[in-house]
Amino acid sequence: MTLQDLIMRLQKFWADQGCYLAQPYDVEVGAGTMTPDTFFRVLDRRPWRVAYVQPSRRPADGRYGDNPHRVQKHYQYQVILKPSPDDTQQMYIRSLTSLGIRLEDHDLRFDEDNWESPTIGSWGVGWQVMLDGLEITQFTYFQQAGGIDLASVPVEITYGLERLEMFLEEKGDIYDLRWSDEVSYRDLRLREEKEFSAYNFEQAGVKGLQQMFKLYEREAAALIKKGLLLPAYDLCLKCSHVFNLLDSRGAISVTERVKIISEIRALVIEVARKYAAEGASS
Amino acid sequence: MSEFLLEILTEELPASHVRAGLEQLKATLSVELSAAGLSEGQGIRVMGTCRRLVVLAEIVPRQKDRQEKVIGPPKAAAYKPDGTPTPAALGFAKSRGIDISQVEVYATERGEYIGFTKSAPGKPAEEILPEILARGISGLSFPKMMRWAENPFRFSRPIRNLLGLVDGRPLDFEVAGLRSSNFTLGHKIFHPDRKIQPRSFEDYRSSLGQALVVIEPDARREMIQAETQKLLEPLGAQLHPEPELLEKLTYDVEHPHAFLGSFHPDFLSLPLEVLSTALREGQHLFSVVKAGRQQPLFVGVADAPDDAKGLIRQGNERVLKARLKDADFFWQQDLKTPLGERAKGLERVVFQEKLGSYEEKAQRMKKLAVYLCDKLDVSNLKKEAILAAELCKADLLTDMVREFSSLQGRMGGLLAREQGLPKAAGRAIYEHYQPAGLEDASPASTLGAILSLADKIDSIVGALGLGIQATGSSDPFGLRRNAHGVCKVILDKKIDFSFGRFLDKALEAYGPKLERPAAEVKAAALEFFAGRLRYIFEKGGFRYDLVNAALGPGLDNIHHSSLRLNALNGLRSSPQFEPFILMAKRVNNILRDQPAGRVNHALLAEKEEQELWSVFGIVKENATPMMAKGDYGQAQKMVFRLQPALNTFFDKVLVMAEEKRIRQNRLALLQAISRLLSRIADYSQVVVEGEKAQ
Repeated sequence: MTLQDLIMRLQKFWADQGCYLAQPYDVEVGAGTMTPDTFFRVLDRRPWRVAYVQPSRRPADGRYGDNPHRVQKHYQYQVILKPSPDDTQQMYIRSLTSLGIRLEDHDLRFDEDNWESPTIGSWGVGWQVMLDGLEITQFTYFQQAGGIDLASVPVEITYGLERLEMFLEEKGDIYDLRWSDEVSYRDLRLREEKEFSAYNFEQAGVKGLQQMFKLYEREAAALIKKGLLLPAYDLCLKCSHVFNLLDSRGAISVTERVKIISEIRALVIEVARKYAAEGASS
Repeated sequence: MSEFLLEILTEELPASHVRAGLEQLKATLSVELSAAGLSEGQGIRVMGTCRRLVVLAEIVPRQKDRQEKVIGPPKAAAYKPDGTPTPAALGFAKSRGIDISQVEVYATERGEYIGFTKSAPGKPAEEILPEILARGISGLSFPKMMRWAENPFRFSRPIRNLLGLVDGRPLDFEVAGLRSSNFTLGHKIFHPDRKIQPRSFEDYRSSLGQALVVIEPDARREMIQAETQKLLEPLGAQLHPEPELLEKLTYDVEHPHAFLGSFHPDFLSLPLEVLSTALREGQHLFSVVKAGRQQPLFVGVADAPDDAKGLIRQGNERVLKARLKDADFFWQQDLKTPLGERAKGLERVVFQEKLGSYEEKAQRMKKLAVYLCDKLDVSNLKKEAILAAELCKADLLTDMVREFSSLQGRMGGLLAREQGLPKAAGRAIYEHYQPAGLEDASPASTLGAILSLADKIDSIVGALGLGIQATGSSDPFGLRRNAHGVCKVILDKKIDFSFGRFLDKALEAYGPKLERPAAEVKAAALEFFAGRLRYIFEKGGFRYDLVNAALGPGLDNIHHSSLRLNALNGLRSSPQFEPFILMAKRVNNILRDQPAGRVNHALLAEKEEQELWSVFGIVKENATPMMAKGDYGQAQKMVFRLQPALNTFFDKVLVMAEEKRIRQNRLALLQAISRLLSRIADYSQVVVEGEKAQ
């Protein structure tokens, strides 16, 4: 099975469970959790089911294409089910069998792993799912998002697509994966990994990034005042990505780190609070 | 007797939560069941897996009928002098629906009252249990709790099924909106849909066994050990012992299967610490050793009946290969940068938001390490101590420690060795996180102990200085673990120094960074340490009252508190002990609320007080150097010699003499004695059997 087969099967499976199939969001994010289809939609009590592929960027994880596992951009398959159904776990297990995995021949484990993202004021309780020792999924019951206690608890299932594909193809190196019968992961991604690693670690202009951060932050604050919450949130995401770049450039000191994270969080929490308040009054 | 069985089926609980949940269930149900008259609180067993919390109890099927006294008006108001009932008595009987002839007289604490005995029929267990279970289960608490769906209820992980049985009959009860069922489920992969309706615990255990769930933890542990032995015996090899990992795996699976895998022998060039950590932390695998040497093999434990196709082993081998490749890459990379170079980056690593960076911490540790070198008579090690303090946190910046944080310290030590730094410094860096708890070993080297103390006391003082405290189950800054480490190092290494001045040094090193005044922080630290020492000593099997007595003279010398305790403990069964304790208490009682005074030798008029004064002089002169040396056993025996003189003194001399000068002089004599005693122990804390209640 190729990576695109894998994606298509997951799309089919989760569409059958009543998920709306979203398209990847077009702002850099560190995880599928941060996109509006998850972030805003988990804040209220309205039922919500969504599934999508999300490219996720973590600049400091770049390894110039030398590491068989680690990349500065990978693809997540993100599923949100709100409220969490009673048979969430069985549903997830069925999604794996729908990929043709005979679980009777393997060792599937739910290993304690709680998730937290201080930048967006969110945390949850759950597991990393291990298949024969390989982490293929993060499975989380959100407890809080944007600093708000979630009355209707969503479950988030995040498949690491490359990891899962490595299991399916029995490969030890991410670049050996096949995206389609004709195209390999190496063809598609190796150059990108090399160049972005050089950019993230060596070339990204620190001064420029610092200015960008200020610009985005000011703009976000201004937009919040005008009640334009979705654009404001986009700018928070940009702040977060610029922060990650500065971090991978080694340009953030102790005190700055704490300060910057709390600045972004403050903005995100304000966005969430206003959004939730609007929902409550409408 | 009846058999009561409870199963709470959940999504996967962390191993530590299973144990915590079972402990609490056992405690609360034994209290609740005996309070309800359903059991004696004995015969309760708990067991479970990552998906099940199970309680098995012997109970009575029905409460005994209860006799309840109903009390009415006082006897005096109930009967006229001629013995006929008053209207009050008649009214009482009528209101309770009984005949006046059934009324009896009861003696109560407040006098005699009339009343009668009502018998309340006992209820069947099935009627009482639902409420007990609802309360017991919703009262469980876990280190981290969560909600799910739209339920406000909090638990460790979502509850998916509840089953209660009394002699095989399903109980109808409800917890947090979830209604109990009459079945349980088998292994989630192998028997997901098999509904099991057990008729007894035996049936429950064997039916689950057939559905690939081994419900008893001991049985699972034995399976892992037996299978492992079968795999390794032919090779003449053993598991590298990892008790914590074994414990985790015992609870993480419902049906254990141990399998043997291998990795490329090239990876054996990695330090053993790195290899076993990569195996353990990444994939929960055991290392295999033969004659003390690591083998290119591992043992894993799967949640499965077998690995017939070998896919579990192959999958794990593939993942492990990538992981070891990573580890090897990290090791090679990390070796390239000298530790000294790397340490420069510590200014960018947060130690604590308000306490600053690890660079600043290293500077403080340097001062403390130098101070300790002097105190421990190893001034010759100062150079290495400074180097070790500067470099010991540098490995936080290595890729290896970023990947495997548990290698912190050891990684730095390994790098120091490879990079040819002085041996003592490398060793100290390697050991400075030790001991990680009371069960862990203290650093073997003196410099390791010094660095460990400096590191931990700095963390404790910093946290207390910001008002961060350990409360209940929450100890985010690891204060208790650090304090246990400090105490253990001092006790293990018999470090004879002033703990109070050491705290002063640690406070001084922070300067104005702390939010609370130094004196306040010091007091808080001393109080905190007293509590931790009490815990450590009592855990060591010492009587609580002796612990309190030994800690009485203060905490300035932790090593000496332990010596004092051992001396008290060693002498507690000597015939002189109890009489002496009683005498010491008598002295203290007389002195209570008396102003301090000085002995004027010329005013010692009576023979007996002169005698006591002179014995005291000799005892003091002898005991003082003994205490200084820490020989509290000898010092204690020495002060026993005061006993005869004190006895005669109390027999013949009136302490509270009428003449003020004489009285005060006698009190001053006793005060001098009391001061000497208080340097050995606070005897008033010792509980003596012959003691009269006060």
